Amino acid sequence: MFNETVLKEINEIRAKYPDRRSALLPSLYIAQREFGWLSHEAMQFVARTLNLPEAEVRGTASFYAMFKHKPVGRNLIQLCTNVSCMILGSEGLLDFLNKRYGVEPDGTSGDGRFSLVIMECIGACGTAPAMLVNTDFHDNLTEQRIEEILEKYK
Amino acid sequence: MITLTINDKEITLDKPLTVLEAARQAGIKIPTLCYHEALKPYGGCRLCVVEVERMPRLQTACTLMAADGMVVKTESDTVSKVRRGILEFLLINHPLDCPYCDKAGECELQDLVNKYGPTVGRYIEEKRRVPESHKDEIFTRNMSRCVVCTRCVRMCGDVQGASAISIMGRGNRSRMEPFSAESFNCEYCGNCLTVCPVGAILSRLYIHSFRPWQVDKEVETICSYCGVGCSLVAQVRDDAIKRVIPRMGFGLNKGLLCSRGRFGYEYINSGERLKTPLVRKDGKLVESTWSEALGIVADKLMKVKNSHGGSALAGIASPRCSNEDNYVFQKFMRMACGTNNIDSISRTGFAAAQKYFEDLLGQGTTANIIEGLKNSETIFILGGDPTAINPILGLAIREAARRGAKIAVLGNAKGLERFKTLQLVPSVFKEADVLEALLNEIYNVKGLRGENPALDKGIRALYEKAAAAFDMQGFDNLKKILLDSASTAVVLGMDLLQRTDGHRSLFAIAGLIYLLEARLYLLSEKPNEQGVVDTGCVPDMLPGGRPLGIHDFKRKFEAAWNGVIPENEGLTLLEIIEGAKNKKIKALYIMGENPVFNLPNESFVSEALKSLDFLVVQDIFLTETAEIADVVLPALGWTEKTGTYTNLERRIQLQKKAVETSNGMEDWKIIAEISNKMGYRMNFADSKEVMDEIAKVSPLYRDLTYQEISKGNCLWPYNGEPLRGEISEAPAVFKTANEYKGDFYLAVEKPLFHSGTLSRRSPALMKIYSEPALKVSVKTAEKLGLNEGDRVQFFTQIGSKEAIVSIDESIKDNRVYYSNNFKGNGIFSLLTFNIDKLTKMPGLEGCEVKIKKL
Ligand code: SF4
Ligand code: SF4
Ligand code: SF4
Ligand code: FES
Ligand code: FES
Repeated sequence: MFNETVLKEINEIRAKYPDRRSALLPSLYIAQREFGWLSHEAMQFVARTLNLPEAEVRGTASFYAMFKHKPVGRNLIQLCTNVSCMILGSEGLLDFLNKRYGVEPDGTSGDGRFSLVIMECIGACGTAPAMLVNTDFHDNLTEQRIEEILEKYK
Repeated sequence: MITLTINDKEITLDKPLTVLEAARQAGIKIPTLCYHEALKPYGGCRLCVVEVERMPRLQTACTLMAADGMVVKTESDTVSKVRRGILEFLLINHPLDCPYCDKAGECELQDLVNKYGPTVGRYIEEKRRVPESHKDEIFTRNMSRCVVCTRCVRMCGDVQGASAISIMGRGNRSRMEPFSAESFNCEYCGNCLTVCPVGAILSRLYIHSFRPWQVDKEVETICSYCGVGCSLVAQVRDDAIKRVIPRMGFGLNKGLLCSRGRFGYEYINSGERLKTPLVRKDGKLVESTWSEALGIVADKLMKVKNSHGGSALAGIASPRCSNEDNYVFQKFMRMACGTNNIDSISRTGFAAAQKYFEDLLGQGTTANIIEGLKNSETIFILGGDPTAINPILGLAIREAARRGAKIAVLGNAKGLERFKTLQLVPSVFKEADVLEALLNEIYNVKGLRGENPALDKGIRALYEKAAAAFDMQGFDNLKKILLDSASTAVVLGMDLLQRTDGHRSLFAIAGLIYLLEARLYLLSEKPNEQGVVDTGCVPDMLPGGRPLGIHDFKRKFEAAWNGVIPENEGLTLLEIIEGAKNKKIKALYIMGENPVFNLPNESFVSEALKSLDFLVVQDIFLTETAEIADVVLPALGWTEKTGTYTNLERRIQLQKKAVETSNGMEDWKIIAEISNKMGYRMNFADSKEVMDEIAKVSPLYRDLTYQEISKGNCLWPYNGEPLRGEISEAPAVFKTANEYKGDFYLAVEKPLFHSGTLSRRSPALMKIYSEPALKVSVKTAEKLGLNEGDRVQFFTQIGSKEAIVSIDESIKDNRVYYSNNFKGNGIFSLLTFNIDKLTKMPGLEGCEVKIKKL
């Protein structure tokens, strides 16, 4: 279950809305922040805290790509493969990530250091290919740049 | 007034409707898929598109409100093309496995494609495939077939209120799933199954066993489980019930069912049904013939009557039997056996509470129309969870909550967790204190009404005695909600009343109803609790609720029945049992009841029955009570016979014969034959003739016929007049309850998935809830260091049991719940009782419980 501070945080969010459903997305973010990913248990906590049906909570969570339904590594790489990024070589970068770090889309590297998911357009078409590592944004990617960038994420 | 034109036809509406509804009303068909009459419009599938003049794009008829002057075309080249396109898209991922899909024949997608769809698909890529899920005991989920219409999700959330399923994922990967993705773990009402247009949700009870068109007949009848009396359709093939389905818009349940009604029907085909009469010889029950068995019964009863008088005989009737059965039974007890010692299990709750309220408030005041709950401003619920005891009535409460009604709950009620406005859980045995305090406070604000001297006097006396400030969290809020409400309904379950001082709560509730001008709903666990009372299976009243003590009534019945009705009021249920124990009662006739298991203090009851000279039990199974009988007579059950039932609203409904499966006889017929052998003639050709007699003699069922009942909407008093209350003195308080001292307290669980001892023969219900669990609160679990699924032993003064633990967040106090449904595992074997002197209900005692982890 959530600790007291987190419960308080969620209850404060809940108090802001007339309908407790409105607090669902922010609460799911908090759950993900606390547990790293949204296990069934974590979603049950959210459901219980907001007095919402469990199925509705999972239904909502499963709609958004930002919510993780499997444990993720210490760092999350979100690489765009939409049109601009694809044309500028993001598919090749996928292969590179696999070869160099042993991480596949929707998977986690054996050492638990990286998880990878594929994103739809993240609004950086002009400087494609682009990716997010955790919450940091990186563009104009090449294999070499990726290697440099990921050095910082242990 | 709205006038619009659809397909050149001018249509005038007297209330706002959608274009779809307006078209249907005018007999114009528009195809739909995500629309369902029981659900709110959704506008998801877009099959219902129509052309509307001056509107730029095609419009979805199911969501578009009809407006004055609108010109609509439901068919055109564009419309057909779009519909064909939509269907082609739906078929992209559909497996097209109609040849082995159970839905084929009643599949809406199949019908639509047949009528509007493309004959050839152009899609050659790989289809999305989702493996069929067999992880649930009741449902098979085939999500390859799902068209994501969300009908099931809307049914489960917006109507059933369970919200157990949702659409998971997004886009191409969307599919319906329960939270766990495996077992549904839900209320198992199956209402999602009713509305799924395709074969995506299927019932495992009959999967792959027949085709929808392969039924020999469909019989419209009612459910046999609880006092709501839902309409349903039994589909029969080869003289067996193949499945039970509801019919939309039909009956008081309007197409909804609960788990018991929909999935509990298989007990009727159970191999354990009694096949022949049994007679005890050399201490053992052996198979016998009808003529031998009936002969023995008539003979023994005559002997007891002749040597000890009628008062040594007694009968226990059944709220599971029809009005016809019960009517004949009480007539037999009174006229052939010469006794008014006749009662039923309803004395432990419904019948006793009803009598109390009717004495104070007048006949007919305890029943109201379920539909009316939906429009209440406030619903005050006490003494049980209506969503488990009378599930379809529970749905009306949930609906009221969605419409903004305030839901105030006293005690634990799991099914209302997400619907309640306010909950008070008084500590054990303190409920009467809370209710009396509430009555005092309300009287303080509102004063008396001056219409009912007995109540006015009683309320004032109570106030003078005990008006003290009352402090309990939520109490003031509850008081305010009740005082502010212009239309209040009180929904009362029996748990609260089964106390040695149950009558204190009863008086307080009667006072509240009177001062607040509230409507009362009594929850009723069995299908004919009202009928048992109406037909006179009570020791103090003749059919129609006519008091035995009023000579005019008695004389009328004596003239109609051609004989003498014994003078004195008879014994109530628990008094009959005590009478057996102390040898005042020598012979007992039990029709369709199992007192050994269903009454508290099993060993006491079974001792009492064993000390009888003669016990005859008439039933459909060899129950715990039948096992100790001298003669056992096999009866017919649900769908095997025709008869009427009176539900908790006092709606008289027809249960119809559909199959011929057993060798039993109708209950009333067995009794009539014995009566004839004992010299009191009863010549009914069929149950219809029994009803004809009831309609002649009962002032409440006057002139009622099967034909009239079949039309529905027969609520009593049918052409008759109810009696007003005769009581002028408020009943006294006899005893306050014992102080309760233990750490935990054992209470009776009333599970949604079980009903008496009938459901244990339903394979489906046994799969849903297969082993009795001790339900404990989160706090209790923490205190005892228990985890879900742990095994414990728990003890009361008179016994102990082992069970697994189930932690239930809806329990708010130190009560632990255990059911009385499973063979050899009833809570009542652990409890004792005192008779409430006033109501004659059992006050449960010895509820302190110790729990040990194993
Ligand atoms: S059976 Fe009833 S409660 Fe269960 S998922 Fe279907 S609609 Fe919901
Ligand atoms: S399971 Fe049936 S009712 Fe539910 S969304 Fe799929 S097709 Fe519609
Ligand atoms: S609510 Fe009662 S009558 Fe209706 S289906 Fe359920 S058990 Fe049967
Ligand atoms: S396509 Fe990759 S950022 Fe827009
Ligand atoms: S029926 Fe109108 S959009 Fe589905």
